[in-house]
Amino acid sequence: MTGRPEYTEIEHTADVGMTFRAPDIRSAFAGAAAAAFDMMCDLDSVASGASFEIRVEGRPDDLEHLMVRWLSELLYLYSSEGVLLSEFDILELKGVGASEGVGSLLTARVRGERFDATRHQMKTELKAPTYHQISVERPDDEWSVRVIFDT
Amino acid sequence: MGKRDKTPELRQVTEFIWELPRTGGMRVPGRVYADERLLPAVLADNGTLQVSNVAHLPGIVGYSLAMPDIHWGYGFPIGGVAATDPREGGVISPGGVGYDINCGVRLIASTVPKEDAVSRIREIVTAMFRDVPCGVGSSGAIGKLSTRDVGAVMRDGAAWAVESGYGTATDLEHTEESGRLTTADPDAVGKRAIERGRNQLGTLGSGNHFLEVGYVDEVYDDEAARAYGLEPGMMTLMVHSGSRGLGYQVCDDSLDVMQRAAERYEIRLPDRQLACAPVLSPEGERYLAGMACAANYAWANRQILMTLARRAVARVFDATEPALGLRLVYDVCHNIAKMERHTTDGRERTLCVHRKGATRAFPDGHPDVPSRYRAVGQPVLIPGDMGTESFVCAGTERAMAETFGSSCHGAGRVMSRSRAKKDARGRDLRSELDAMGVVVMATGKSTLAEEMPRAYKDVASVVDVVDRAGIAAKVARLKPLGVVKG
Repeated sequence: MTGRPEYTEIEHTADVGMTFRAPDIRSAFAGAAAAAFDMMCDLDSVASGASFEIRVEGRPDDLEHLMVRWLSELLYLYSSEGVLLSEFDILELKGVGASEGVGSLLTARVRGERFDATRHQMKTELKAPTYHQISVERPDDEWSVRVIFDT
Repeated sequence: MGKRDKTPELRQVTEFIWELPRTGGMRVPGRVYADERLLPAVLADNGTLQVSNVAHLPGIVGYSLAMPDIHWGYGFPIGGVAATDPREGGVISPGGVGYDINCGVRLIASTVPKEDAVSRIREIVTAMFRDVPCGVGSSGAIGKLSTRDVGAVMRDGAAWAVESGYGTATDLEHTEESGRLTTADPDAVGKRAIERGRNQLGTLGSGNHFLEVGYVDEVYDDEAARAYGLEPGMMTLMVHSGSRGLGYQVCDDSLDVMQRAAERYEIRLPDRQLACAPVLSPEGERYLAGMACAANYAWANRQILMTLARRAVARVFDATEPALGLRLVYDVCHNIAKMERHTTDGRERTLCVHRKGATRAFPDGHPDVPSRYRAVGQPVLIPGDMGTESFVCAGTERAMAETFGSSCHGAGRVMSRSRAKKDARGRDLRSELDAMGVVVMATGKSTLAEEMPRAYKDVASVVDVVDRAGIAAKVARLKPLGVVKG
């Protein structure tokens, strides 16, 4: 399990975004989810009683695509079930290396709880992750992630 | 700070038009409407770069345009207008419509004198806040719909709401497209979008969506104001909302399809968020049919929200809606793509007009303008930032000739949401607005902070530019008295 990374909010005029660094690719995906939910509601106020299995597939060797699919899936869970998420456990991550085949796959176990207006102070509601200026890359020995969301 | 890409050079063409010359893969030049005063705000973010990115779309005709409320979006700039010719390979780009498909505004006039509204304003705002579901996680005033009902809403739009007891047939006449795009095909909408639509009909949403009580503060054009039923000193209501989660999901679902389509049709673009397909392709047609469903859902949503607001006001005054003269002036959408007839390069043709944060502004005499307004032009509704003022304009021939019948849609942000929140720290925005004579009720404190007045350009300067440039004509100014925010 990976907790919330030290992320920086991007100063985008209309929308919100975040950028952060991660030691490995699993932390990059888990951290992006944690940062996204933290931008919506302080993660410290969200319990982790409910658990969900997530499975998303992406195009081969296209980390930005897999990142958008992953974050979209979590925001769908939020909007359809009213669930705020706080813990993200990446179980499987396949097809993200240059020679690993035809598609990428991410499976995860995520935990959270149902939104409760009496305890959860919402900050910003994120509609969807966008491809605008998105990057999931490894410029040096660390991973660097950048995502802008429509709000 | 956001990543700044190289901003292209602007060349002044007229007092209000600044051109981005064609460079690289741009198929047409870009044109931004602004004056010297607004220019620094226009150049302050990546908006103009996005104008040049949009100019890369296959089949784009004329110019890649930006209204004076332009600011940095994703893919298209907010305030962007682009028309493509389907018969010349023109594309449809979901990025040119946005996630909140048919986000829009409607304005309601009344015969309630401002003084009466002022004396009851707290009661009015409280009643609307109670009766209109808003904010995060709120569900609809009309309960959870069946999948079949969502299908009917997507097909019939605002008419579905009227048939279900929300408003009257006259409201439909005063709604852009009569509140229904006939190209809607519910089969083009995925299961998830439908599921998200089931419990959000009749909800305001959060962010910049609002209900506002105001009054007609000044009239600039007596004839048009009379036609619109706007009398100086009378109370008004404004509703700003869109297609909620259903629309976001239609957009989200389309992006994968469009990326594959862009590869298949060998369309190369500078921003992945601009992914598109030819209008006349299975992918393009399917998106437009699904987009129309979301647009219709949004019209039904605003029709219900307006009815709930009108009823709340009527209850406060213990009178009927007709006795208070509560009447829909007009409903405009400002995130949409439409097939419209326009004359460019000397010939009339059907174009796919993308308006991303831009309002249709059709002139007098145009068949799509309601008969009641046909002598003066279509009402163009331009809400300002919270607590300041809003404008009603009329569409013009000049807009038809220069901007595919489009004008601005609002004030346009100048401050990022996170900057606005930092700026608001330690301030009591509610009291500040109260001191300005505006009563505000909001579900979240940070929504209030993000939408604080100084986060936007001065709407008066924006409207001044469209008025003086001739792409909309000022009719009236509205001042706010009370606001409900999600």
